[in-house]
Amino acid sequence: MSRPPAVPRDLERAPMVGADERVVEVAPVAAPATTREWLRQNLFSSWPNGLLTIVTSAILLYLAFRLLRFVFVSADWSVLKANLRVYMTGRFPVEELWRVWAAVYLVTALAGISRGMLLRTRWTTTRVLSVAVPVVLLIGALLYLVDSARVWLLLGVAVAVLLVGTVVGRRLGPTRRAPLLVAWVLAFPAVILTLRAFGGVKPELWGGFLLNVIVATVAIFASFPLGLILALGRRSRLPAVSAFSVGVIEVVRGVPLVAWLFFGQFVLPLLLPAGLAVPNIVRAMIMFTIFSAAYVAEIVRGGLQGVPEGQYEAARALGLRPARMMALVILPQALRSTIPAMISHFISLFKDTSLLAALGLFSELLRTARRASASIEFIGLQAEALLPAALIFWVVAFSMSRWSQRVEVRVGVGER
Amino acid sequence: MATAAHTRPPFWRDVRVLRVAGQAVFVILVVVVAREMFLNLEFGVRRQGIDLSFDFLQQRAGFEIKEGIDYSPNQSFLRAFRVGVVNTIAVASVGIVLATVLGLVIGVARLSPNWLLRRMAQAFVELIRNVPVLVQIIFWYVAVVLALPVIGGGLSVWGVAYLSNRGAAIPWVRAEPGAGAFGLVVLVGLAAAAAAWRWRLRVHERTGAPPRRFPVAAAVFGAIAVAGYAATGGPLSIEVPQVDRFGYEGGFQASPEYTALLLGLVIYTAAFIAEIIRGSIQAVPKGQREAAEALGLTPGQQLRLVVLPQALRIAIPPLNSQYLNLTKNSSLGVAIGFPEIISVSGTIINQAGRATQMLLLVMATYLTLSLLISAAMNGLNRLVASRGALR
Repeated sequence: MSRPPAVPRDLERAPMVGADERVVEVAPVAAPATTREWLRQNLFSSWPNGLLTIVTSAILLYLAFRLLRFVFVSADWSVLKANLRVYMTGRFPVEELWRVWAAVYLVTALAGISRGMLLRTRWTTTRVLSVAVPVVLLIGALLYLVDSARVWLLLGVAVAVLLVGTVVGRRLGPTRRAPLLVAWVLAFPAVILTLRAFGGVKPELWGGFLLNVIVATVAIFASFPLGLILALGRRSRLPAVSAFSVGVIEVVRGVPLVAWLFFGQFVLPLLLPAGLAVPNIVRAMIMFTIFSAAYVAEIVRGGLQGVPEGQYEAARALGLRPARMMALVILPQALRSTIPAMISHFISLFKDTSLLAALGLFSELLRTARRASASIEFIGLQAEALLPAALIFWVVAFSMSRWSQRVEVRVGVGER
Repeated sequence: MATAAHTRPPFWRDVRVLRVAGQAVFVILVVVVAREMFLNLEFGVRRQGIDLSFDFLQQRAGFEIKEGIDYSPNQSFLRAFRVGVVNTIAVASVGIVLATVLGLVIGVARLSPNWLLRRMAQAFVELIRNVPVLVQIIFWYVAVVLALPVIGGGLSVWGVAYLSNRGAAIPWVRAEPGAGAFGLVVLVGLAAAAAAWRWRLRVHERTGAPPRRFPVAAAVFGAIAVAGYAATGGPLSIEVPQVDRFGYEGGFQASPEYTALLLGLVIYTAAFIAEIIRGSIQAVPKGQREAAEALGLTPGQQLRLVVLPQALRIAIPPLNSQYLNLTKNSSLGVAIGFPEIISVSGTIINQAGRATQMLLLVMATYLTLSLLISAAMNGLNRLVASRGALR
């Protein structure tokens, strides 16, 4: 092979091949050509393996049979049908629900624009299936659950907003990312205002899935800067500062979140000035934020430790002051390498919002689900009441983790 | 003076001075905020008509606790708290062992050459990891354990183990008089077995004779244990649980709350442990296995002597954090009324009102538990890192 040696743009990534060196090309391991061969290689390569396949598929078939029978025959989904609105919004007053819809449209519009601007999806068969199957399932479930034409109309508008957003985003092109980021940051206060402003709904009445999302979002946004400060504090060369940061981080992480939530309900109001009445839910958000910040701090510390010493030295040699060195040289590199860990922490933070149920004060998704089967007419339907809540948590957490895998590939974590 | 001014920057730009000044400012700030909070706390607590001392722990508790070590409502709050601590430890220790075993099985299944098994293990992990553990615990409790048949019609395994909505009961050993002495004999036996193990290893290293450490050590331990058992008069007996109308009698009984909490914690943590196991085995360089194969080791020996010791070294730090998570997650027992640390403390707060002191106690307890687990894992880590393997 006599290719002219192109000048690699990124030296590290390109294989260094000298002019007279021969490129050794190894043939890829032959992919199995036929279904039969594939089956033999993967399922029946040996006797014990074949036996294992038969046993596993028997178990699998049995489980699938039980699951399908439960979902379509023996389960009584009336409890979900009657409580769908409560699952989503808790005790949010019905006449104010337009605020929730408005917030949903705001977020869908932004999501659509981001999709259009940033995502260049190549529609392979697996990709199509991975989108189409959940969509069909969702539509099927909604057909069964939602009777009201109004809700269908509102959902239809949401889909339309998403699609229009995508088209608009595509028109805008991938260059205007900064305004998009600003829009996302502003979206959150906008959502809160939509729910709250002009005679809106008090936080005490927010509930259901809506509350989980809001608490998780607050904690994610607020804990990031706090965790960053703690991480920098921990690595500070001032012993007083680093000892304080280490103490905070370790104590917060060593104690379970439930204990912190109890702390937020019982002790935090005593620590604050007497005149300051902070609502329950805000105190819970504060505790979530502090708890999450300790974990964020450890993740950022890991990232900071991964930045080679030479980067610090180079930045100092350029005459940068410590603050600018951090902001311009160290943190950008450190934070990029923490993206996967950060997203998986935020996923677990979202799952942790279910712990609000353990306090028994807030009607978030899990508690709503648990109480749905407590009313007389739905007694004995615990599984039917809980499984939809579990499914909602699962869908959000699973799709976030899938999305994070794609982000990881795109930002090239571990490649540079 | 003039020369000093040349060599030294003015004090407001001297790094050493600035460092001290910065720390002083920081400490003052922390102290001021902490003092302000403490004053608020004192004021608030006094307004509630209580104090900040820990004396209340000696008062009569006056509430029932459903399970755990010996306790009656006439005993003190401190005693009640101790019941909670023991219950937490009971869940966490059993949970750690079971989660490790299950996680190991699933982690190995994730690497199986069998496509179906591999995919099933993966599906299990993806399903379990992405549902909050509290949802799972509550599901096991209300939708599975409490939905089991009533005690009379419960499941029975050959008439010795039972499962019903009153929980589970399995046969268990019961200590008769003389068990303490027998315990000592067991310890002696273990020490002797360890000595025998080391002796065989030395012989093997010196002469190349087959080590046979395990059979020899087991034989030594077995001989001492059997002799000791006979000498102390057979102090252990197996007790099979009996069913009566209200519950189980004898054997090891697990309440519905304990069963559900354990199930939830074990399955959830096992999914994470499985990923750790898979990752650590994959992280062992391929060349290691190839080299072991080139030395003529059998596949079993390759795994046992080359791959697993190295994988274990990689796995220990993340396993430690999973064990800590499991222990902390056992606090979710509060949501299903299992009397562990948090739920007992919650009751005490309701009764005595001293939330601040109770939460301090809770934090100190969890931090101690975390430190103990970390210390144990660090010890294991040192052992593995220094010897390269658990020989």
